[in-house]
Amino acid sequence: MRIYGYLAKKVGDLTIKYSNFPESYVKKSYEQVYWKTPAGYPQYKKAQVARKKYRFTTNRPWTGQFRQQNEPGTLRKKVFVEPIRDWTFFRGDRVEVMVGKDKGKQGIVSQVIQERNWVIVEGLNTHLRVVGKDKNFPGITIQSEAPLLVTSDVKLVDPESLKATDVEWRYTEEGDKVRVSLASSRIIPIPKTAEETIDYKSKELYIDNIEKDTTADAATKITFAPKLRTFEMDIMEEMGIKEDRVPAKSYWY
Amino acid sequence: MSKIPILINNFCKRNISVTATREGKRNFRKFVIPNKRGSVLHKKKQMTEDREFEIDKRGVRDIGYNLNGRFVIVPEMIPEIIVPNLKDFDLKPYVSYKAADVIQSEFTPSQLFDAVYSKKIVTDFKQGKLDEEGNPIEPSEEESLKPEEAIIRAKQTGSDIF
Repeated sequence: MRIYGYLAKKVGDLTIKYSNFPESYVKKSYEQVYWKTPAGYPQYKKAQVARKKYRFTTNRPWTGQFRQQNEPGTLRKKVFVEPIRDWTFFRGDRVEVMVGKDKGKQGIVSQVIQERNWVIVEGLNTHLRVVGKDKNFPGITIQSEAPLLVTSDVKLVDPESLKATDVEWRYTEEGDKVRVSLASSRIIPIPKTAEETIDYKSKELYIDNIEKDTTADAATKITFAPKLRTFEMDIMEEMGIKEDRVPAKSYWY
Repeated sequence: MSKIPILINNFCKRNISVTATREGKRNFRKFVIPNKRGSVLHKKKQMTEDREFEIDKRGVRDIGYNLNGRFVIVPEMIPEIIVPNLKDFDLKPYVSYKAADVIQSEFTPSQLFDAVYSKKIVTDFKQGKLDEEGNPIEPSEEESLKPEEAIIRAKQTGSDIF
């Protein structure tokens, strides 16, 4: 059952990392459970009848637009997504487009959608769409990028020769896993923009919320002193609560 | 067209069932009829002593016991939530992203034993205050603690998990 749970992971790791939400929250936000076995009754095994097939789009799974696109009862044709074992594309990567009208041009990845093996490159593979067209208003034309498939439409660029190359994950002598371009064996480092999330651009640049965030010093400070007390006994000593009554003997069966 | 069902009704229909009877097996078994669910008869029966199912407390524990039909409240069983004064308390609900991950090894019972008893054992051994079996001649408070006494101390807090 655990293997199935792992294989059935629909939402990609990078999506959850970008969201800064716990995985359980993301799952709860998009899952549609129709019925669950009653909880608290050990005679009934845990099971649920829930929706399994979702259409993943450029809208993130916790958004309202995703929920609208996956309303209960909507059936979409299955989209076949090639399962990729080692994901090689990150935000901020320099990438070359191999198909379409922008073939041969290089750009920087601005969004990664792992569920569809998509990558959105800034300014490339664009099309024009008209927004807000009215009877009296001609509408605003926006240039928006279309997603590109990671397996076929896009390739990483060698950092020195600036040419498109195939990439492999290999280990350095220190033991770090790095991407290596197959054409020239050069290491392609993971860009700094890859650690950006909704909350911060990078961890050092995060500004603490004074009321709710524990500072780094307070969180890493060690205040534990081993004592021969249970948790409750320790609290009673700290608070000065004294109890002389001896409870009646009880047994566990 | 309306004559066809009438014609069918006039046929002789007599057949022998060859499938096994469903002895007591009902369609859906995962019905739970907790407190407010069920028919009036069922709920009335649940209120008496010969009820079919146990009353579903939904995880809430009783604050007393039933004696001769009466429910006796035990004040000690009413949970009292003790919240210390959180003035000048540094820890907040969330942790800043800047804090590095703290990876600590497990604090095992043997480590607790070493922390509490090892120093005295070593000093006693060096001063020769241990007898033939290795027990201390002048036991400290922790060393003279018996298991029953320890359980009593742990239970005095009101916790019943020991």
